[in-house]
Amino acid sequence: MRNENDFFIGLTPIFHTIIFEMKKQRKKLYFFTMVSILVAVLLSYILQLFPDYLLADTQAEFFSSGLSFISFITLFAACLFFSGIICSEFNKRTGFIVFPKINKYKLILGKYLGNLFLVIFIVTVYYIVLGLFGFFYYGGPINIRIFYSYVFAVLYVIALSSFVTLFSSFMKNVNITIIITLIILLMGFNIADQIVTLIYADTFEPLYSLAYLGNLITSVLENPFPDPRYVEYSFGGIGPGGMGGHFSFGTWITPSIFMGTTLLLVYIIGCFLLAALLFKRRQL
Amino acid sequence: MTETIIKLENLTKKFGNFTAVNSVNLEVRRGETIGLVGPNGAGKTTVIKMIAKILRPNSGKILIRTNHSDLQDLRNVSSTISQIGFLIDIPNFYNMTAYQLLKYFGKIQRYPKDKLDNRIDELLAFFKLSEWKFERVRNFSKGMTQKLGIIQAILHDPDIIILDEPQTGLDPLARIEIRKYLRELQSLGKTIFIASHMLYEISEICDKIALINYGKIIGFDTVENLALTLKTSELNCLLLEPLDAEKILPLLNRIDERLSPFLDQNLDPKISKIPILYNPEHQGLKLYFNGKNESKGEILKILVNEFESDFTVISFTQPKTSQLERVYSQMVEDSTPEGPIKLKGVDIKNEK
Repeated sequence: MRNENDFFIGLTPIFHTIIFEMKKQRKKLYFFTMVSILVAVLLSYILQLFPDYLLADTQAEFFSSGLSFISFITLFAACLFFSGIICSEFNKRTGFIVFPKINKYKLILGKYLGNLFLVIFIVTVYYIVLGLFGFFYYGGPINIRIFYSYVFAVLYVIALSSFVTLFSSFMKNVNITIIITLIILLMGFNIADQIVTLIYADTFEPLYSLAYLGNLITSVLENPFPDPRYVEYSFGGIGPGGMGGHFSFGTWITPSIFMGTTLLLVYIIGCFLLAALLFKRRQL
Repeated sequence: MTETIIKLENLTKKFGNFTAVNSVNLEVRRGETIGLVGPNGAGKTTVIKMIAKILRPNSGKILIRTNHSDLQDLRNVSSTISQIGFLIDIPNFYNMTAYQLLKYFGKIQRYPKDKLDNRIDELLAFFKLSEWKFERVRNFSKGMTQKLGIIQAILHDPDIIILDEPQTGLDPLARIEIRKYLRELQSLGKTIFIASHMLYEISEICDKIALINYGKIIGFDTVENLALTLKTSELNCLLLEPLDAEKILPLLNRIDERLSPFLDQNLDPKISKIPILYNPEHQGLKLYFNGKNESKGEILKILVNEFESDFTVISFTQPKTSQLERVYSQMVEDSTPEGPIKLKGVDIKNEK
């Protein structure tokens, strides 16, 4: 009984850190909540006001087009919320005040969870707005696949957060962490995916790529789930100057649900544990 | 004798090829106030950071006694968080209000919830920051931030308080307030460890001084005992009435003649050219003597009894600060990166 009490008492600093961190980041929360509402309204409502813009045939297609920006929102939110989670303690020297007061593992866990709740809240707001418009246009019931998509969006944003946290654990400066993680997540993974697909075609699936794993958010909305997941596009005919030929390129559309979920979990746990270990070892 | 509460054993910290702290041995006993004094880059903050577990020593140990148990290796002790309060370097806070910050710090250090608000109010009031309770620290002046740094160090009422340059950025009034508060803490039996450049503050508050240079402890004792290493000590003698200008010179000659066995006749000209000075502003005599305790008594007797018709002595003191200043400069000048020059009478390792 006593051990159980000690255990819970030991957890209270984490709980207090979560609350404190959420208060600390509330300006960012307001900003991103506004952005996510605006984007959702823009994609779901404002665009429909243009006469040339046709409303999707099904609710699932409507959700799919509405979610085209979710990866950007989650990506920017993860970068801005998590880039300073560790390196700012060193860069701004706040660690001198905080480190002697709380175990570093508890501190990082509290900060991580506090920020995580906020980015999940932002994603949730986006889905709620989208869901409401889906209901408004197509009536109920809401397609169950939007909930699957939501689960993957949450998993994806947690994986992104862990990834950025890992960078924050060894980078010196918050701004550089933001720039580098944005470059890697926006361009690095996509470029690597293109190269890998060009070289290996359907023999090597780019499962290492967070950008590729994020495709699950929209592909899970499709019924049936895309199969085959590797698609080849072919082009043929006579080109300018009488040049002709056949050109084809392939692309991986989405990982399988099982593999995608597993790898997102690996990213979440692996990156966070590594970040926590580096944080523990890093000296101020 | 009170028990040892913190013990540093051959503590060493290197940054690449640079040895910031070099085999430091130091014992702090319960209830003592220890001053760690040294020039910039001497290793003061590094020692404190290692006690705070912010830096890991390359070798050596930090032993700590928690809740009257045996001395334990700091690496194996997690309860230090609630037992020690730290102020390290110039404090940098998250940009929240003073209240939000202190509330958070109090909670994570498990200060009783029902008393926390009162404790915060009490400390903010003492340090004259009550009006700033709900202001963000971004709007605080340097001195106010420093005060908040001291508050966060003592908020959870720790047994051991470790302060690194607590007087930095404070105006004279604030320094007095802090000195007063530290004295209160001393009277409550708290163990205090202060690193500072400000010799006056240190000499006023601390029971013992540890002098550090090139990462080594070059002296550790009371100011009085450290002063024994000096060939010359200083005495201040205040007089009831000013001396007659015409009589000063002959009178000083007479005093010099009479006190000659006790005065330092080979005085370092950097300190003074003659061993007796009269300061009309302070209405007092300054005497440089041989530093022996028995000499002080003899000098006082002679001045009171044999010069009764010339002046009346109203105060006879040996200023701690100037002694410490001279001990400090002498020891720092004499020490080398290889180690301190062994100074007579200085108990470097405090092995008593």
